[in-house]
Amino acid sequence: MERKSRAKQVALLGMLGAVAIVLSWLEGMLGPVPGLPPGAKLGLSNVATMLAASTMGPGSALAIALLKGLFAGLTRGLTAGLMSLSGGLLSTGVVCLLLWWRRCPLGYVGIGIAGAVCHNMGQLLVSFLLTNAAVFAYLPFLLLFALPAGAVTGLTLHILLPAFSRLRGEI
Amino acid sequence: MKARKLWRMADLALIVVVIAAAVTTAVLLWFPTGGDAVAVIAVGGEEVGRVRLSGVTAGYDLPLHTDPQVILRVEPGRVRFQKAGCPDQICVNTGWLTSPGQTAVCLPARASVRIEGAGGVDAVVR
Repeated sequence: MERKSRAKQVALLGMLGAVAIVLSWLEGMLGPVPGLPPGAKLGLSNVATMLAASTMGPGSALAIALLKGLFAGLTRGLTAGLMSLSGGLLSTGVVCLLLWWRRCPLGYVGIGIAGAVCHNMGQLLVSFLLTNAAVFAYLPFLLLFALPAGAVTGLTLHILLPAFSRLRGEI
Repeated sequence: MKARKLWRMADLALIVVVIAAAVTTAVLLWFPTGGDAVAVIAVGGEEVGRVRLSGVTAGYDLPLHTDPQVILRVEPGRVRFQKAGCPDQICVNTGWLTSPGQTAVCLPARASVRIEGAGGVDAVVR
């Protein structure tokens, strides 16, 4: 019994990790979105880390964020890897805290937005360390853009969670 | 873990806080400080040059000593990342910078150009 549930964990983790990588790759293929600040992304792959965070716990979610960062580093270079890691780990950490905090007053939309804001702030911090304070010019854009991006992530999570929990029970 | 709602009132409060933070930082960071537009060029956190854009009479290319190589294009009243040897081209896609507060950054090359509003300095390139 113990062995079976462990195998299940590993299989689910691998699946969510693959989903995260495919989503971030797809997003990279879309290229710059007109009307958005350069470099802004929807953060679709955050759906995978948030799914892991809400059904499998913080360890699994952080493992996926780490995997995604390594993949970005291998395929798109060191800078992209650092950006993905800093944003991913900070946002996943905060989302885990909010999800496991029983009295947290936020709904899924709020948690998605908190995650998106933290993702952008983590990336901004690393870009600041790589260059200088000039990068803070992006701060207002990044804050505003985190609202729709985070709301979409939260909504997706809300829709997927029941289905994912069922799937998890059946495997 | 018990089921959570999609939307709660605290979400609205969070949205208001984020918008307020965005507006505050926008006012603080982008408010025109007056004077001439000066392009402040930095590589790896070190300032490497300043160009007063209104003092530029003829356009020229300004290569920066970075890896990957980036080339700035300076023209009267404006500046942009012309070419960058990086895969994502975020800095090039940012386009022309003309007024104080505007910024373009190339992270792989750790190069940034920020327009500041200041008078006095003509052109200093070290």
